[in-house]
Amino acid sequence: MLKLGGLIRRFCAFGRGILVLAFLLFLGVGMLMLPVPTKERLSSFFLSSVFYPVQYLVASVDDYRNVIEENEKLKEQNARLRLELDYARDGMRELTRLRALVRFDNQWDYPIVTARIIGRNPGRMVTTLILNRGISDGLKKDMPVFSMSGLVGKISKVAAHHAQAQVIADPNLKFSVLNIRTRTIGFAETMDGKMLTATIPTYAGIQVGDTLVTSGLGGIFPKGIGVGTVSEIQPLDMEVLSLMVIRPFQEVSQLEEVFVMQKEPDWIVRELLQ
Amino acid sequence: MKGLKIIVTLFAFLVCVILQTTVAKWISVFGAMPDFLLIFVVYQAFKHGTVPAALWGFVIGFSCDIYGPVEWLGAGTVSMTLLGFLVGLLEERFLMMRLSLRIVILSFGYVFYDLLFLSLTNLSHGEVTQLFLTRSIPNGIYTVICGGLIFYFLFHRKHRKTHV
Repeated sequence: MLKLGGLIRRFCAFGRGILVLAFLLFLGVGMLMLPVPTKERLSSFFLSSVFYPVQYLVASVDDYRNVIEENEKLKEQNARLRLELDYARDGMRELTRLRALVRFDNQWDYPIVTARIIGRNPGRMVTTLILNRGISDGLKKDMPVFSMSGLVGKISKVAAHHAQAQVIADPNLKFSVLNIRTRTIGFAETMDGKMLTATIPTYAGIQVGDTLVTSGLGGIFPKGIGVGTVSEIQPLDMEVLSLMVIRPFQEVSQLEEVFVMQKEPDWIVRELLQ
Repeated sequence: MKGLKIIVTLFAFLVCVILQTTVAKWISVFGAMPDFLLIFVVYQAFKHGTVPAALWGFVIGFSCDIYGPVEWLGAGTVSMTLLGFLVGLLEERFLMMRLSLRIVILSFGYVFYDLLFLSLTNLSHGEVTQLFLTRSIPNGIYTVICGGLIFYFLFHRKHRKTHV
């Protein structure tokens, strides 16, 4: 009985379904048979009334996604523009340096070659710089190397297209310096690769803050290249001599480009070196 | 309880519309998109039988027609209504099915719907064949994959041991 009841229920449901289907198909086929202008009117009516909220919702979701995509694109563009801005700023700094070089170049009687630093010695102290200029650019051993701020060192080795510069922070490099105010001459060297030191007579009257330049003695560096300022004076034994500590004008580790003066060592130095 | 079911169904319908109109575009593979609305109709047919499925088929088919070419108005309505009704005959109240069988029914349902829809439009035989090969088959495969996943989560995760 139960099975029979279920079957009857199902048949009734099926019959009701058939009726519903027939009605819906009637509507559907009716729509198909309508003339195109009527279809257009019907379509536009539903689009502007019943479907409008749904359309609005869907458009909002789409808009949200578009905003996210646009945001990503803008971020990417922003990053690219930042890079370009950094590049432009770097170019501006380089231009300023080069303009200054043009003015600086006229101060000396010797031609000056600009060189980029393409390498440094890997040790704790920067004692050697590798320059991108060599024999082909007119560089020779023992030519002075300096920057806008002051003395950097001298060419120690030279190859066809690159050269090595021994910097003033190298403990093996010693050179004479002149105190501009007192005209006292001393021999500068470094122990720690940072500060230069020079021994001078105590009576010379050196003071902290005095400016030191190359003296021109020694035949390698011309006279007048800035070296640094006196930052400290320490009395030595017997108080006859004092040790002056010199803060160099040019911090070697911060260099990007240097100038090489095409000045060969004086004949006496060449002879001594040979 | 019945009111809640209606709200849930309406919400599911709305989700499907959003999925179909936005997400389907985003997840399209070489232009092939899944048909979430067809999956919804087939789901309604499995779950609630002929009448609700035919009604939902009518609503969804009509919605698709409204956004389609105006000359084809009614083609989608008729096709989707018939699909809902026919699949509704296999309502789960009377017949429990394995997932594989549901996927097969979904595949046949898709082919039936698409062929009927294309034949009700005024397209030539050559155009129908080309559309079926280039659009219907890739879309159908994608729809069946998505439908299979949806059916698994909706029908089979909870009742894995009760299938016949």
